[in-house]
Amino acid sequence: MGGVNVIVTKSLNHDDAKEKSGSIPQATIHSHEVIIIGGGLTGLRAAIQIADAGLNGAIISKVHPLRSHSVAAQGGMNASLGNVPGEDGKNDSWEMHAYDTVKGSDYLADQDAVELMCREATSTVIELEHMGTVWSRLENGKIAQRPFGGAGFPRTCYAADRTGHNALNTLYEQLFDRDIPVYEEFFVTSLVQDRGRCNGCTAIDIKTGNVHGFVSKAVLMATGGFGRIFSRSTNALINTGDGHALALNACVPLKDMEFVQFHPTTLYGTNILMSEGARGEGGILLNSNGERFMEHYAPNSLDLAPRDVVARSIETEIREGRGFDGGYVNLDLTHLGADRIMERLPGIRQIAMDFAGVDPIDDPVPVQPGQHYSMGGIDVDINGATILLGLYAAGECACISVHGANRLGGNSLLETVVYGRLVADKIIEDNPIHLEQDIEPIKLAIIDIEDKIGDIMDRKDNGNFFRVKNAITDIMFNKFGIFRDSDGMDEGLVEIKNLQEQFSKLSPINKEKPFNQSLIQFLEVEGMLKLAEIIALSAIERKESRGSHTRIDHPERDDVNFLKHTVSILNGEEVDITYKPVILGMFEPKERVY
Amino acid sequence: MKLKVYRYHEGMKEPRYDTFKLKSDPSITVLGALFQFQQEFDDSIAFHYSCRGAVCGTCAMLINKVPRLACRTQVASLIQGELKIPLSEFPAIEETVKWNPEEEILVEPLPNFPVIRDLIVDTTSFFNYYKFVEPVFKPADKTPEKERLMDPSAIPELELYTNCILCGACFGSCPIDGKNPDYWGPAALAKLYRFHIDPREKKGTDRLELANIPEGWWACEFYGNCRRVCPKGVPPLIAIAKAREQLNDINEKKEEEP
Ligand SMILES: Cc1cc2nc3c(=O)[nH]c(=O)nc-3n(C[C@H](O)[C@H](O)[C@H](O)COP(=O)(O)OP(=O)(O)OC[C@H]3O[C@@H](n4cnc5c(N)ncnc54)[C@H](O)[C@@H]3O)c2cc1C
Ligand code: SF4
Ligand code: FES
Repeated sequence: MGGVNVIVTKSLNHDDAKEKSGSIPQATIHSHEVIIIGGGLTGLRAAIQIADAGLNGAIISKVHPLRSHSVAAQGGMNASLGNVPGEDGKNDSWEMHAYDTVKGSDYLADQDAVELMCREATSTVIELEHMGTVWSRLENGKIAQRPFGGAGFPRTCYAADRTGHNALNTLYEQLFDRDIPVYEEFFVTSLVQDRGRCNGCTAIDIKTGNVHGFVSKAVLMATGGFGRIFSRSTNALINTGDGHALALNACVPLKDMEFVQFHPTTLYGTNILMSEGARGEGGILLNSNGERFMEHYAPNSLDLAPRDVVARSIETEIREGRGFDGGYVNLDLTHLGADRIMERLPGIRQIAMDFAGVDPIDDPVPVQPGQHYSMGGIDVDINGATILLGLYAAGECACISVHGANRLGGNSLLETVVYGRLVADKIIEDNPIHLEQDIEPIKLAIIDIEDKIGDIMDRKDNGNFFRVKNAITDIMFNKFGIFRDSDGMDEGLVEIKNLQEQFSKLSPINKEKPFNQSLIQFLEVEGMLKLAEIIALSAIERKESRGSHTRIDHPERDDVNFLKHTVSILNGEEVDITYKPVILGMFEPKERVY
Repeated sequence: MKLKVYRYHEGMKEPRYDTFKLKSDPSITVLGALFQFQQEFDDSIAFHYSCRGAVCGTCAMLINKVPRLACRTQVASLIQGELKIPLSEFPAIEETVKWNPEEEILVEPLPNFPVIRDLIVDTTSFFNYYKFVEPVFKPADKTPEKERLMDPSAIPELELYTNCILCGACFGSCPIDGKNPDYWGPAALAKLYRFHIDPREKKGTDRLELANIPEGWWACEFYGNCRRVCPKGVPPLIAIAKAREQLNDINEKKEEEP
């Protein structure tokens, strides 16, 4: 991997560990061949593969798997099934899917990974069907497909607007059938290393507050995105980027962290997602003058241009005074008619009624852009392997780079299931080369975490750390949002540093062990503050506009200097930023026109 | 506007109620109010949350004596009395604490589940019933190369049941579950029925027979609270009624054929 080789191994003194661990006889240590951190679509699909290969795998998740963020996905999953012909009766193909994905990514995606994902897409959707997923169907009984932003064909397979719910329940059912162990409500606190390898992790059992150790030959990170670092976000409240922070602390690099997707249509007020499926079904965006403003920005694709384009257009309308008071535009579905809305978008309708008091059958829905997806993540190769032997990552927390600078709707659910399976295959293949588990480093790691929690709890300053949490999310949305410039970002970085400084003196007021959710949030915020700094530095250094990263001071894409991935790594307390090349292939970079 | 919250942890003789004055924000949800409580009043409070968008089923609790999703329930609507639902008597509906619905919101843990701490309940038995119904797709045929075809007209009924988010609100409001802890409850039976009617499933009566026991299909007395409180419009009692009808038909046929 690109010459980066900075595995830092703690030097371990086993006698010391034994002596220290003698003082914590209650510490529980679990042993599995493979530990999967995360119970969303990625984690569940991987766990099934690992169990079917006869390996002893287990899932650790901070919430019940069915409460993972994946359950919220609405619009669908892309695959070139070709069940719905495109214009002119042409048929879809995996190559067309790959082309749209690479173009959508503003040519920053690694084309080998994109190719693999698009080739695997149809069998992946069909595999879910075989496991029992209820997909929406066409009259002829085949899986239905709808048009989505940036796609040349109606390629998005869907289950009404509850695709994530249906798929996650299906995988959970399969998991259940195989009796795969799940450590539920365990919050992972560190990755453990031994002899240059990752051989497990530590986690707090939230129910008791005790720290447990997990020894394994391999660890798969499937911890999802970091959306909650931004104040306006469509993400579940638990999406705090813990996996990214864990990787960083293990000296594993992150990649392309400046690329954060802002979804154009989130409900004004709560920022709950109004699926792209709504525009896929024919919904249109209107400004306060009642104009269909997308005509000016993307005359061909109109409201179904890719997300970065539509989000910028809405933001521009709002900034130039053609939005409504409070900063929103309208998403009009009324012309679709009650039947179609109730059949295809029932969840959207319910959300609009519950959370904004608007019934889309009668009235337009107020929407504004909000953070939605983390394109960047843990730096992995095409096999999902990190530079740390035994540590793998897949799904939204990873950056295998199929989305580059901008993800197309429907490609992320696809990525979770495709790479959940493929990375598990790689883990299975690598299993013989991984060393047998050694328990001593885990014991030492438990002591470290207990010491750390002890230190946090002993801090004297009783300032309210939730204020820091709220402040960081505001800074990120305001200074590192849809439009960025160097002055704003420099200011933002200083503010982030200040917050880190303040935070290092704070402590949760609640000092009890069982169900100390304040402590859990505290640990989440600690990671968020570090990630915020990395997003900031990556964004400041990328002096061009590409995909979701829009710099007012550098409005053009600059392939000469920036057709490359940003790689960030923790070096002590400092963040080092380096770069590595994008893997090109079938498609030459061109200007994107929609 | 005030939030009156049930507090309990191991070792307490009796639960207590804490009252907290909310910063007035008409659009705040009960979940938002709980976060305000946690951040500004007492960070030791424990409650479950995840999606905050009424899709993950984590945050079901008893709000003004009705099981609801805290993230979906608007404080203002409660105060204006808009969210009243007529329910049949179930254990937790009794007034055990004084509360003034015009200016207070009463938040308690989901009934019919053991309380672990504050608003967090133990869902083990709920998920055990889920386990009992063998909620795994059992296809009729060998796995084909492509997708199995499915008549789109079969989907609306199936969706009624696949929509369940396993929040437990129905279980919490069920008068039968309140007095008979062995009853599998509405959510598990609705899940079972979902597999029974899936046209891709192995046909036959296996699924129906699975709950053909007093604690299964036959314990329900059709109070209907499950349907009324369900945030996803799932009708467990229709599933139960249909399953019983089909089982009765089968039995009648068996009697006819000596
Ligand atoms: C509202 C919404 C709608 C979407 N709709 C679509 C769509 O229609 N199509 C599409 O392609 N994509 C969609 N996406 C994106 C897609 O849903 C996500 O990218 C995808 O579900 C991520 O899955 P995952 O398995 O990687 O992670 P998640 O589902 O987020 O799961 C993460 C898991 O990690 C666990 N975890 C995290 N930190 C810790 C820790 N410290 N300790 C223990 N466990 C931990 C969590 O408990 C959880 O189980 C949508 C996203 C949003 C926000
Ligand atoms: S049937 Fe409804 S109330 Fe019962 S668990 Fe499912 S979603 Fe919740
Ligand atoms: S937090 Fe997910 S349903 Fe309320």
